[in-house]
Amino acid sequence: MAIIKWTFWGVIWLIIAAFFHYTLPQVDIVRITDTYEKRIDFGENSIFWSHADVGNSTALGNRDVFFIQTRRAKGDVMVYRNEDTGWGWPPYFKFDTTNLQAEASDLKSAAGTPQYVAVKHYGWRNEFLSIFPNAVSVRVVDGPDASKGIPFLNIIILILFAAVVYAIWVRWRRFKRARIDPTLERLEDDIAEKQGRFARWRAGRKNK
Amino acid sequence: MLALLRLIVIGFVVLTIIYIALSIYSRRVRRGKLYQKWAHGPRLVDRDIFVQRGLKRYDGSIRRKLILGVYIVPVGLVILTVYLTNFN
Repeated sequence: MAIIKWTFWGVIWLIIAAFFHYTLPQVDIVRITDTYEKRIDFGENSIFWSHADVGNSTALGNRDVFFIQTRRAKGDVMVYRNEDTGWGWPPYFKFDTTNLQAEASDLKSAAGTPQYVAVKHYGWRNEFLSIFPNAVSVRVVDGPDASKGIPFLNIIILILFAAVVYAIWVRWRRFKRARIDPTLERLEDDIAEKQGRFARWRAGRKNK
Repeated sequence: MLALLRLIVIGFVVLTIIYIALSIYSRRVRRGKLYQKWAHGPRLVDRDIFVQRGLKRYDGSIRRKLILGVYIVPVGLVILTVYLTNFN
């Protein structure tokens, strides 16, 4: 029983952690190597893509998506998509996709003359699902070792979330101690008493 | 436009639920405090009249209007986010 309980809560917390890891902004220091657009036919991975630009038709099953190709300061490559989040989830309220693409194109640089930028983004890159993190903003930085800044927003959101969880947990524990535990104990006492009566009745029959 | 409408409608419903719940809770807390105050005071008037008067004063107070922040703060945050994401 304990194993089932731990597995259940483990899975729940894993989902919550994944949710925050996907949704909260992160910053990468990268060098933009190219920007392009590509038509995407959304399939199983459609949940990991955003919607058409705000104001455009949402009826079509496919559309062109902007991409930003980069090499990270760490050495590996990363490809970002660049899509409006619009008024939907996650609540970045991003409408300036095309402007961002123009900025990113402007900051393209070759390996010989690198221009490093900080890309704020959310989401995951996964090759097996063909999904890409969504770039939210680009900002020029001094070099590959530039500071990413302290993620104040993430700290605030996670502290608020922890506070809410703690508040619910404390109330639930109090409720359980006051209402559920006494009821369960009464039930157990009841059952024990009935079993005792049954045993006495059987013992009485045997002795006859 | 449909997405914006959806955000507004869902947001309004959720915030209204929070607003109503918070209003009722706050009024109850106020009522409890008024009972306490009456019990520890000189008891010059009847208890129910004392509490009624106190609640009437509470209904017109700034403290009660502060609960409207339930609507104002999220809308302000959305506007701030729109500005920071797109125009900054």
